Amino acid sequence: MTLTAAPASKIDQALASRLAAIVGERRVLFRPSELLTYASDGLPSYSKQPGLAVFPGTREEVIAVVRELARLGLPFVPRGAGTGLSGGALADGVVLVGLNRLSRILSIDAENGRAVVEPGVVNVSLSRAVAALGYHYAPDPSSQTACTIGGNVAENAGGPHCLKYGVTTNHVVALTVLLPSGEVVTLGNASGEQEGYDLVGTFVGSEGCFGIALDVTVRLSRNPESVRTLLADFLSIDAAARAVSAIVATGIVPAALEMIDQATIRAVESSIYAAGYPVDAAAALLIELDGATAGLEHDVATVEALCASNGARTVRVARDDAERARLWQGRKKAFGAMGRLASHLVVQDAVVPRTKLPEVLAQIAEIGVRQRVRICNVFHAGDGNLHPNIPYDASDADESARVHLAMREIMTACVNAGGSITGEHGVGLDKLPYMDLIFTPESLATMCALREVFDPDRRSNPGKVVPVHACREWHMAPSARPHREIL
Amino acid sequence: MTETLTASVDALRECVLDAGARGVALRVVGRGAWLDAGRGARTTESISTRELAGIIEYVPGDLTLTARAGTTLAEIREATAEHNQRLALDPHGTDDGTLGATVATASAGPLAASFGTPRDLTLGVEFVMGTGAVARGGGRVVKNVAGFDLTRLLTGSWGTLGILTEITVRLHARPEADESFAVSLERPGSAESVRRVLRRLPFTPYACEIVNDTFAAFLGIGHGETALLRLGGNAAAVRAQRTAFAELGVPREIDAAVWTRLRQAEPAGAIVFRMSHSASEIARTWTEANAVAVGCAGTLLHASPTRGVVRCIVPSSDGAAGWLRRAFGAPTMTTRIGERLPVDLWPMVSSAPASDPISSGIKRTFDPKSVLNAGILGEVQ
Amino acid sequence: MSTPVVVPPECALPGSPLSNAQAGIDACVHCGFCLQACPTYLTLEDENDSPRGRIVLMRALLEGTLAPGNESVETHIGQCLGCRACETACPSGVPYGQLLEATRETLAQHRPIPAIARIILWIFERPLLLTIAMAGGRVTRALGIAKLLARLPGRPGFAMAMLSSTSRSKTSARAAVRSTGEKGRVALLTGCVMEGLFTETNRATERVLATNAYAMASAPGQGCCGALHVHAGDADAARRLAKTNIAAFERTNADYICVNAAGCGAMMKEYPHLLAAEPEWAARAAQLSSKVRDVSELLSAAGPVRGGAVRTLVAYDAPCHLVHAQRIVAPPLDVLRAIPELELVPLNESDVCCGSAGIYNLVEPHVSDVVLARKLENISAARPDLVATGNPGCLMQIGAGLLRAGSPTRAVHPVELLDESYARRAPR
Repeated sequence: MTLTAAPASKIDQALASRLAAIVGERRVLFRPSELLTYASDGLPSYSKQPGLAVFPGTREEVIAVVRELARLGLPFVPRGAGTGLSGGALADGVVLVGLNRLSRILSIDAENGRAVVEPGVVNVSLSRAVAALGYHYAPDPSSQTACTIGGNVAENAGGPHCLKYGVTTNHVVALTVLLPSGEVVTLGNASGEQEGYDLVGTFVGSEGCFGIALDVTVRLSRNPESVRTLLADFLSIDAAARAVSAIVATGIVPAALEMIDQATIRAVESSIYAAGYPVDAAAALLIELDGATAGLEHDVATVEALCASNGARTVRVARDDAERARLWQGRKKAFGAMGRLASHLVVQDAVVPRTKLPEVLAQIAEIGVRQRVRICNVFHAGDGNLHPNIPYDASDADESARVHLAMREIMTACVNAGGSITGEHGVGLDKLPYMDLIFTPESLATMCALREVFDPDRRSNPGKVVPVHACREWHMAPSARPHREIL
Repeated sequence: MTETLTASVDALRECVLDAGARGVALRVVGRGAWLDAGRGARTTESISTRELAGIIEYVPGDLTLTARAGTTLAEIREATAEHNQRLALDPHGTDDGTLGATVATASAGPLAASFGTPRDLTLGVEFVMGTGAVARGGGRVVKNVAGFDLTRLLTGSWGTLGILTEITVRLHARPEADESFAVSLERPGSAESVRRVLRRLPFTPYACEIVNDTFAAFLGIGHGETALLRLGGNAAAVRAQRTAFAELGVPREIDAAVWTRLRQAEPAGAIVFRMSHSASEIARTWTEANAVAVGCAGTLLHASPTRGVVRCIVPSSDGAAGWLRRAFGAPTMTTRIGERLPVDLWPMVSSAPASDPISSGIKRTFDPKSVLNAGILGEVQ
Repeated sequence: MSTPVVVPPECALPGSPLSNAQAGIDACVHCGFCLQACPTYLTLEDENDSPRGRIVLMRALLEGTLAPGNESVETHIGQCLGCRACETACPSGVPYGQLLEATRETLAQHRPIPAIARIILWIFERPLLLTIAMAGGRVTRALGIAKLLARLPGRPGFAMAMLSSTSRSKTSARAAVRSTGEKGRVALLTGCVMEGLFTETNRATERVLATNAYAMASAPGQGCCGALHVHAGDADAARRLAKTNIAAFERTNADYICVNAAGCGAMMKEYPHLLAAEPEWAARAAQLSSKVRDVSELLSAAGPVRGGAVRTLVAYDAPCHLVHAQRIVAPPLDVLRAIPELELVPLNESDVCCGSAGIYNLVEPHVSDVVLARKLENISAARPDLVATGNPGCLMQIGAGLLRAGSPTRAVHPVELLDESYARRAPR
């Protein structure tokens, strides 16, 4: 890590003072030593220091800050809690706008199952706030105790329970958005159907490139009457993958269907989140079934039988909430637990068609052997969303290079299987080099053009999501491609 | 109107480029179900994707299906039924409609109450833009956040941004039990009481619609306001759900064909529109819909209480349009969305849903020469 | 994605306590799960004041990006309460408490500890001076001077409020309790503040232990546990105190060392780490540490015996050094549940620091006040008659806060309540 002076000419003490006049002295960080910690998000293999960081505390302050930046034509990067795993919140020498202080729940409508929240509200605190009303907020990324709803909207965050309940985009009904120009627009219809383009759906998952969500109207989900959590362990990954397919084929939609491989089980079991996973199993499935009590036991029995018939050694059903919480704790904290294995860790996020899981997992294992890296798999098996983790020592040049190769090979294997390069972490910086693998230049140029509708100068979170060359092509297009026009 | 049939993406692209060069606006059509809906499209020629048909990939174990836009819902139903699966979309009309049109119009029916609309079920799209460029959004997997969400943007854009050529959808396995019931609602304010029961019960029915007296008679399920329930899951769950609904009245098992009749209830020339508000306002929305309908004999009303939507089917009659014009003039707190209206009523219902600055900007970007369905969602600013 | 090769930088502080803690720093994966557990992040809302941010600063010190005298380092490392709530939240098992102590010790080698802290620590290392200071405190308290001066603005007023909050209304004289002793012999760490200002709580501790069949053994020669010193970066003084205590408690031959101050208990359980560089002492420390129990652990293991009814609403506030450092969650609640008719009311953020943190509230008054304000808000929302918490620092911090806010709620040690309950038992 090195300290770099702010490169952009306009990020200077004068700007810091003007912003401080809006948000207060303490809420503008300008000294390099104070900006160090904001050089990374949850993926610290990327580290780029912002030129300045500003932390507005109210909607009005956010608007005033962004208008000032718009006036000066300065790029900026919105940031929530910095728990993202794609380098999406890195502000390389530009202004970082932290939204963590906008953490009020503005309203809760229990009758309609809606809540309006500021972007900095922490995911789990929304669920806690509505728990007494019998609701929760369904998207539950593993970082839910720390990540913000605004960040979830930017990344279209998922989580284990998205298998049944859907990802963030299925739970956002309306947004108030601050465009990079400083203009405020309302998207969606909080009460009633929405006609016209699905601008809410377009904004969700735009990774901070379309502007800043000032408030988010979300759909709340009713707490299920009953929940059953099962842990099934297998002596081969293949058998576990077969069990996944068998369960899905029945029409039973588990609330969650997670796979944890042996390397991950061992990491978890040696951490403080030891959940009692059998350390000698090749893989374990964590399966949750929820809903009305009536009929649930029948589904539990069906799932148990399917696990057994596909080679499960044991199937354990959590007896009470405490055991259930413990089984989940191990899964949710697995990523951190892997930090124990080596000084550095990379986590990949890719999706393959469910039926390709056994094949792709075998390929990943083969890649691990060939590149001599340790790959731990812990992932959302129910929707084929893989998370290979590789703990390694970054100070070992040879190992780092092999990790790099392994990651690329894994990604290629997933794409070749008909999958996607990211299921829930977003493209950010990390997946930029892979966008060409799944999108044609015309598709990328289209995305770039869409972004310019919201952000004509591409000032909001510059350089993310769409590779820059794709955007250049769009601008260079007219002569080469007569059917295109420049706007 | 001249119609061009295209059987390949390349031909379609050529056609769009050609129209752009000639300065002609194209009406994008599936099987033409919406051509008589009265929407004010400024188009002189049409282009149909119905020949661009066929299932491209269907792997039952993945519960996903990729098909060309012209594939009919009936074809998809047949292919998936073999594996005890289905595409959980039951838009109003028949299964002769195309997947492309269903997604382009984001049309949904009663099953939306538990399975969502095309916006929730469409995983990926390929489309030809007004510029002639062919782009893709999403993919073929059930979870995907790669790139900006062109899939959501195109879904429900009524062909104004691009002509859908290929679509991947999420399927659902058919449940062990799938039963339909009718419950006669005797008390007034029944829409609200149904909503309250649904809010309290620990499950979501596959579908729940309340129909007015006229509609109940049309469907042959008795008289008076009636709730139609479709309950799915394992046998024990369905039994328990049925028991739970007894507090509304006596559930009578009915044939599942009632849902098909409901979808196809529109008589030729009918005026069809929807009114919606928060679910908790369903009683007021229902009352308002009844008030609008009272002047038109034979009006069929059905409400989806969990979604807060009431759909009104007004049979063609001499006075209907005039009555509705006056009714629509009254202030309302509901959102009105037109489906089929006389041309002059459109501005009173769905004036210009895609003419805000951002929507206009997107339209100009995707279709700078306004080749595609010009004016169908209002004029760009 | 890229996996940049990080050439290991030459360690900028070779041989420093911080460089010895490098492995702990490397365990951090920067996931951010600690943010919402950190009281200074919750109140100051800047990641520099979060565990993740402070670990970045520690790493920068080691890599030489920042120098020990750097103002940002001083500020944010200084502002850490050391509550270790982040350790409970950390999936990677980062030993944050040890990292913080190593950092403070390293910084102290470059820049002296603040004067006020130095004076306090100097006194706490000297039993005679400490006894005099505590006696002075008791006199000030008894004459009502403390209560009067508690209204003064700023630190002096707050300090007086802390002192005043330690006063206990006179209870009827309690008869000595005879113990069967069947649960084992217990030596009590009488502590400095506990014995000085919470004398009655220490006596109550002895009584409730006896009631629960523990035999009390005295441990002459013991002194301050050293926690305040190690938190401030004066590890040498802490080591001297630790050795004194190890020797004193070894002589008692007790089965358990009972501690009724969470901070001291956490310290004594960590003596082996503190003395790791001296193998012989480390072994003796390990032997001693294995016997250290919080009073609530001993009571919970013994039942505890149920007492007489105490009709009151109690909010339990978990001391950080009990819940996060020692991971003791249920036993204090077992103690309170042994009291008939005592009603536990839920306290939001009961596992978040109150801002006391040893002498932090005197050294970093501004941040301490902000953290305390949040605690007081939560207490006021819960509307209890009493806040129960098992640590003298927390008792004084919360007690002073309540006093100055004019709240009718008082802070008490759970053991005092159990003692009261036993006193109300129907005579057998």
